[in-house]
Amino acid sequence: MISRRRFLATSAAATLLPSAARALGAPMPIFDAHIHFSHDAAERHSVGEAVAILERAGLKRALVSSSGDAGTRALYAAAPDLVLPSLRPYRRRGEIGRWVDDPSVVDFLEDRLKRFRWVAVGEFHLFARQTDKAVPRRMIELARRHNLLLHAHSDTGAVDGIFDQWPEARVLWAHAGFDGPDIVGPMLEKHANLWTDLAFRSEHAHGGRVDDGWRSLFAAFPDRVMVGTDTFTPERWHHVVEHAAWTREWLRDLPPDLAEKIAWRNGEAMIRPHLAQLR
Amino acid sequence: MIRIVRFFQIAFCMQFILTALPVSAVDFTAAEKRKILRHGPWPLPATPDPSNRVSGNPAAVAFGRVLFFDTRLSTSGSVSCATCHRPDAGWTDGRARSRGQRAVDRNALSLFNLRFNRWFGWDGAQDSLWAQNLRPLLDRREMGIGAAGAARLVRADRSLSCHYRLVFGTAPGADDDRVFVDLGKALAAFLETLVTGRTPFDDFRDALAGNDAAGRARYPAAAKRGLRLFVGRGNCAFCHFGPAFTNGEFADAGVPHFAGPGRADPGRFGGIRKLRKSPYTLLGRFNDDPTRSTAVKTRHVRLAHSNFGEFRVPGLRNAALTGPYMHAGSLKTLADTIRHYSTLDEERLHAGGERILRRLDLSGREQADLVAFLDTLTEAESGPKVEVKSEDLFCR
Repeated sequence: MISRRRFLATSAAATLLPSAARALGAPMPIFDAHIHFSHDAAERHSVGEAVAILERAGLKRALVSSSGDAGTRALYAAAPDLVLPSLRPYRRRGEIGRWVDDPSVVDFLEDRLKRFRWVAVGEFHLFARQTDKAVPRRMIELARRHNLLLHAHSDTGAVDGIFDQWPEARVLWAHAGFDGPDIVGPMLEKHANLWTDLAFRSEHAHGGRVDDGWRSLFAAFPDRVMVGTDTFTPERWHHVVEHAAWTREWLRDLPPDLAEKIAWRNGEAMIRPHLAQLR
Repeated sequence: MIRIVRFFQIAFCMQFILTALPVSAVDFTAAEKRKILRHGPWPLPATPDPSNRVSGNPAAVAFGRVLFFDTRLSTSGSVSCATCHRPDAGWTDGRARSRGQRAVDRNALSLFNLRFNRWFGWDGAQDSLWAQNLRPLLDRREMGIGAAGAARLVRADRSLSCHYRLVFGTAPGADDDRVFVDLGKALAAFLETLVTGRTPFDDFRDALAGNDAAGRARYPAAAKRGLRLFVGRGNCAFCHFGPAFTNGEFADAGVPHFAGPGRADPGRFGGIRKLRKSPYTLLGRFNDDPTRSTAVKTRHVRLAHSNFGEFRVPGLRNAALTGPYMHAGSLKTLADTIRHYSTLDEERLHAGGERILRRLDLSGREQADLVAFLDTLTEAESGPKVEVKSEDLFCR
């Protein structure tokens, strides 16, 4: 039976000194850069249940975006220290493939930006042939005006296109573009303000061992990679805890300092300049 | 006279047009023909399972058949394998989610053509047919007798003990797990015999291979149109591949997979997790294959987050007999299943990587044609083939 005093001490350590907390046996905190709480997930899980899942997973922060957006606002209202709200340009999940040609998306974004505060815009799906379209251009312009991070599910061409439009943009590249280290490395080299999440990716680690190619990438860009679950269907909320456990397993195969960066420090550093937008 | 001749000439032409039109409308291209031929010949050669030393042994088949119908293998004494796998119902039970001693989360898979599987169960948590047979015996919701209970029953029962001795050459020993696994192997020997027979599709496929015009013409036009969709625009054959109409793997078909309030069925992700924890895999001491070549797949299987929500790609032979469909029986008929793919909610599938499934937007006729094709995968003579025969009672 853990004493109340020891519990409080451990909790305080976990909050203030993650390394010390780990030494006490607390799980490594995780910055989950890829959570959705879309309309269909909100129909299945109450806000309280969703927050409880994030806490059970041991998340320090979660970058949350949702089709429908109401889910993000509800989660942020319930857990403002845990949830980082990101504005997704989709009112329903079905808009993933159509939003770039739908001018009403701009009205939606402008309205939400006026009414609420955000740290990011995204996750949006944007590919090379689409970056010059009017709606994504306007979205990037709005992000620039509000100093927001861009969370882009994109190919390399679209990432380049975003930086062409806004050279000072700060971009979180979702799923590392589903590319391998041979593509991701040069992209990180080319764009100093590009970070990447490994959501829905598994090939970088197997059985608690980090793949050699990815290990080299992590070592070469220790400040630019983070993790994420991607709760793209309501059922995936039941994978958040498992995903966090799996992440901690392979992070143990890296030097502690690098593991801590990928687990949460990189996410914290990336989001810090945008936190002022929440005030 | 001329009038009569002309009448017959016209009648002949009309008949030719009426019969030839639907057929010529689905003449297959060389590429389509190649794809169709890959779904045969059938049946496949039956080779014994090297991981099961009694695979193909007639005494083991008989023992397995007895065990299959024995309700004493459940803790309640009221449930046998045949409760959920009824011979008169396509070796399934017609329920959406099956019920052994209690309700379970999944639909009972049919037992047809199991011997050709690489993985077993909706989640592939077992890597051999004999291991799969142990699962319901361990699950309290199904039969739940467990290794010790099953071994105790076999040791104590004169008939079962006699069968065991006939098959394995020795009386059931003191090692519960060993006896338990041997029961799984006898059951596997029996289940290996449940191979579907030839179907109208096989006759057509062979006629296509042999350039037999008359044989090809006998195949219904609607089935031909459905087959063209199956190997073409529908891309169904990508997963429902080969003579057994399955690639033997797992896929996210966009089917919701909540198992109940606050519970999701993890599918293949959970299956790989269970496989790794199980003592009854091909990597363990119960694999009878001295070369261990059978264990290569188990050694190399990798867990991926994309496995969460993936379920078995079932074979389609005799599919018409085995509804309802999908892992939790959410689709009642084959027509419902085709409609699911026709109106697929692509947003349920992850946007990253290679996307195989697309919303098909099939017309009503196209959907009916696909069902007509699937119906031709039903063996000509189906139904109960298995009974507890008198020779099975030799050991009584």
